[in-house]
Amino acid sequence: MSTLYFEDIEEGDELPPIDLFLSKDQVRQYARTAGMYFPRFTDDEGARAEGLPSMIAPGVMSMGLLARMISDWNQAAAIKRIGTTFRSPVLPDRNVHLRGAVTQKIEADHTAECDIWLENDDGERWVIGTATVALPTKA
Amino acid sequence: MAHILDLHLHSEASDDSRAPVEAYLKWLARKRDERPLEGLVLTEHRQFNKAGDYRDLEDKYGLLILKASEVETDYGHMLVYGVNDDIIGRFDFKNVRLSAQEVITEVARLGGIAMPCHPGRPTIGLIEHYQKKPPLEGVVGVEALNGGSKKGENERVAGLVQAYGYHAFGGSDSHLVSFVGLCATAFDRDIKTVEDLVDALRAGGYRPLDFRVQRPQPPIAPEVPTHGSGI
Amino acid sequence: MALEFDRSLIGQVFDETSFPPVTKEEILEFAAALGEKNPLYTDEAQAAQGPYGGLVAPPTLVTKLRAKKFTPEHLPKFGKVGFDGGRDLEIHAPIRPGDVLTMVSTIHDIYEKTGRTGSMYFIVIRNEVTNQKGEKVAVIDHRIMQR
Repeated sequence: MSTLYFEDIEEGDELPPIDLFLSKDQVRQYARTAGMYFPRFTDDEGARAEGLPSMIAPGVMSMGLLARMISDWNQAAAIKRIGTTFRSPVLPDRNVHLRGAVTQKIEADHTAECDIWLENDDGERWVIGTATVALPTKA
Repeated sequence: MAHILDLHLHSEASDDSRAPVEAYLKWLARKRDERPLEGLVLTEHRQFNKAGDYRDLEDKYGLLILKASEVETDYGHMLVYGVNDDIIGRFDFKNVRLSAQEVITEVARLGGIAMPCHPGRPTIGLIEHYQKKPPLEGVVGVEALNGGSKKGENERVAGLVQAYGYHAFGGSDSHLVSFVGLCATAFDRDIKTVEDLVDALRAGGYRPLDFRVQRPQPPIAPEVPTHGSGI
Repeated sequence: MALEFDRSLIGQVFDETSFPPVTKEEILEFAAALGEKNPLYTDEAQAAQGPYGGLVAPPTLVTKLRAKKFTPEHLPKFGKVGFDGGRDLEIHAPIRPGDVLTMVSTIHDIYEKTGRTGSMYFIVIRNEVTNQKGEKVAVIDHRIMQR
């Protein structure tokens, strides 16, 4: 865990990626915790009955993981806004890669705009989004 | 002067992007070694951003910025270059069921060019429609390399291009700042205006360029969830 | 060619719910399910020394509210199945153990586009969340995709 100040970051910085094997148990644990224990998030058969290839992770779980990437990068970054588009269902039991980059630094309110996304081993971007984070200043 | 352009990207004028045009330009300026682009074509969803004026940004960053549209038809999505008042008056860009044949034919007659994008994509790509319906007349080229594609979607286009003799171009389809220019198009001729672009797209003499970097993906051990700490 | 539905639905509040108090355990479990390591969300003692003077919830915990039933019953069905198309979260105040959250939900927008799976109808639900002190906690725009 590190603390980064507004002065420490630059436009173009990549956020440290998280490479994760997303297990079905992890998805079930999230679904249970988040009050979303529905078939499509808990078992393959239930998901297939809804026309899905297999069980999927809730979109908000991907969003939560991307928020965690920001918090792993800088524990002092306060998320003011986070928006994600769930372009494709996130299928567990395989690797997912959480990535991000600082795209804009806004001096006026010491915030930074970040791109955030989740991709699979083939580089398909299943979830894309942006976040606005407020950072502490040294001044 | 511009020979290498990203022909497909969305700015904050589109409903599903928050990327300011200037942030795209700054990103390209920063990444010039990896993505040597000289221009961008903004293809906003279901609209033509007539009010958008990027001349000051062009001067500031030394990059060409042109405006176009991405529309939705009964043969999938199409990029419309050279949009003018006649074209805007002829079609309701918000209609998600435009007739593809009408778009191709009428846009060409009115001075622009409409080109199918991501043809390998299910439902909104040309290939699936060609399997069920007769081919369109007057298609000049297709987006053979799209930065938002899933595995196999770009690969599928090679056969289409060969079978119909279409020209091939590329675009990033970027909705995020950092994806700008990952796929682009190289032109033999210099593009200075949207009229140049339309002429060049009609004439041929261009090809897709891929600037994506494939990262090696190491094997990963599952994370073991812990049930909270501190209690 | 506009989508056919009763446009007076837009802007209508269709639900207002107050939820049971947020618990410390709930916050810790939610953080653990995401693999959060930030002591603000995982460690009461360390969080007490931090900027909020105590444990707070990871920012996306607010998406738990009414996770089971988020579409209004009186809304016409535009498609057979519904999926989460995306969320936009504005965070205004941290959520702490003991907070009683109230959520007011409005139909914000309805529109149509086409995608990899065919025609898609988007219903945007705007959820405004406040706490027991009347502070604005979050605004969640929830894009529900039906096809």
